[in-house]
Amino acid sequence: MEKKSHVQVVIPVVTAIISLIFIGTGLVSYGFWDQQPTPGFFPIIIAVVLLAASILCIVQLLRSGDDKPVKYTKAELMVILGGGAVIVGTYLIGLVASCLLFIIAWLRIVERAPWKAVIVIEVVMAAIILGVFVTWLQVRFPVGLLGEMFL
Amino acid sequence: MENFASLIQGFSVALAPENVFVCLLGAVLGLVVGAMPGIGSLAGVALLLPLTYKFNPTTAIIMLGALYYSNMYGGSFSAILLNIPGDSPAITTALDGYPMAKHGRPGPALVAANVASFIGGTIGILILTLTASGLASLGLKFGYAEMTLVLLIAMTSISWLIGENPVKGIIITMLGILVASIGMDTLSGAPRYEFGNMYLLGGVPFTPFIIGCVGFAQVIKLINEREADEQKRQSEERKVKLSIRESMLTGHDFKRILPPVLRSGVLGTFVGVLPGSGATTGSMVGYAMQKKFKSEQPLGTGAIEGIAASEAANNAAAAGAFAPLLALGIPGSGTGAVLLGGLMMWGLNPGPLLFDTNPEFCWGLISSLYVANVFTLLVAILVIPFLIKILSVPVKYMIPIIVCVCIVGAYSTSQSMYGVIVMFISGIVGYLLEKNGFPTAPMLLAFVLAPMLEKNMRKAFIASQGSLKVFVDSPLKLVLLAIFLVLVLTPVVKAIRKKLSAKKAA
Repeated sequence: MEKKSHVQVVIPVVTAIISLIFIGTGLVSYGFWDQQPTPGFFPIIIAVVLLAASILCIVQLLRSGDDKPVKYTKAELMVILGGGAVIVGTYLIGLVASCLLFIIAWLRIVERAPWKAVIVIEVVMAAIILGVFVTWLQVRFPVGLLGEMFL
Repeated sequence: MENFASLIQGFSVALAPENVFVCLLGAVLGLVVGAMPGIGSLAGVALLLPLTYKFNPTTAIIMLGALYYSNMYGGSFSAILLNIPGDSPAITTALDGYPMAKHGRPGPALVAANVASFIGGTIGILILTLTASGLASLGLKFGYAEMTLVLLIAMTSISWLIGENPVKGIIITMLGILVASIGMDTLSGAPRYEFGNMYLLGGVPFTPFIIGCVGFAQVIKLINEREADEQKRQSEERKVKLSIRESMLTGHDFKRILPPVLRSGVLGTFVGVLPGSGATTGSMVGYAMQKKFKSEQPLGTGAIEGIAASEAANNAAAAGAFAPLLALGIPGSGTGAVLLGGLMMWGLNPGPLLFDTNPEFCWGLISSLYVANVFTLLVAILVIPFLIKILSVPVKYMIPIIVCVCIVGAYSTSQSMYGVIVMFISGIVGYLLEKNGFPTAPMLLAFVLAPMLEKNMRKAFIASQGSLKVFVDSPLKLVLLAIFLVLVLTPVVKAIRKKLSAKKAA
């Protein structure tokens, strides 16, 4: 399940837009020179170089025909969605529970891993998160709406 | 002589029980993470960075140093046994390591890699011991203008060396600098480019950004390797049993590896010192040099000399990279940039003054590299019987584990979901950039070096009242400027010559 996109040229277009935002905001809000360099001085210079390089890159890609399609796979999107789901889940059921639930869901649904492997990985990860991060590093992970209701 | 006296004092720091413990822990973790195919030293160090928050700066950086260092050892394991390099410096190790394993000598191939890593690394650390403080003394003579030029050279060289298109290197470097300029102005402390967002006021947090750019981005790419990994594992499903006794080198093996190890150890160290080159270039140069010398069997067919040259060079380069990092505050690679970021997080200002202001830290770290080298060798040999088990963890099982480590690590270092969101976004951006041929390592380097570059450049302009002459008014500055210009112009000249020769051919 592959999708091809001519996105190579999109990257320099986006960086050109970013550079214009930095130049515009810098000139309007932070200035360039007032008897000495002001806070906008350095970022504006960098943004100008970025703008020039982005334009050059766009021209290079279009003229040389190097703007080859880039292949994106459904599996890659699944990882991104998985990461996003853990973040959303954190607000609902807490970070630790979201992570452990994600591991089970991923291994069983996506990888069709046997329960034995799932349980071993789950126990190891729970031990790492609770043992290393919660107990040793004393990180207080968010418990989410559900956790706040009960704790 | 003075350096060795300082080194002995450094050992009193490195051999403190807590430091010995973290050094050993770093060596074990680095070996395991380095052995996992597809993670690599950069992602490995970034993912394990949160674990060091518990310690004081010296202990934390000792652990990071051991992690980084042992990662180099670990990369060779999967290269030799599975023909899957754990990270890029191990690519050349696989060329001879895997054939040697196929010829029925996996154990000696592993031990040869470990011994070569140890000797190469020791040469690198020795040269680091002799040169680092001298380099720092030279750095003390640098004013704002000289430091600006040195930082420009560091940023430019890594942009040119990584990736085939220098324009893409410039784009990615500039992007890294702009991301670093969000938050507070480096000199006045005034808010800058925060776009009305209170979270951005504190800037983009370093660790979540790094974890995202290299860790999360890596795991997105890693998913495409799971099928190839599975196929390779099925075809390589052998009942190999490794034991320490059967893995030992014979006297003849040792005689064969010693000359390439010594040559590559010295060469690798100097390659490592150069900004932008790092361990990958080190191993490639070491292997290429071995081709010019006689080997008992041809390189690429399982020659133990090839393994030795590659491994000695990459470990020596890893050690050599500490010299510009500690003495000038200039990292030689993406992994060096993560280490530098770590130093800054703990309030240490790497650069020429560090040897004066924090000698116990500098020499403690250098001494700890010797300790880490010994520990890593011991652990690497003791772990041989269990390697097949460690390497049997398939890529597909590592994906959810790494995703969770990224999220947990990003939260624990920022103590807020903002850190997790920064990690997530920078991971997606890093993945898109890499996918489109924009290497992310220069962005990390630029992100770390940008505040220093801005501070030095602005101070140079303030001192000179805006005159550009401040960058050309001494022979040293002229030399630095010439190096910078050569680095900038070489790819341009190359591109023009390539076009002209293509036209001629047509």
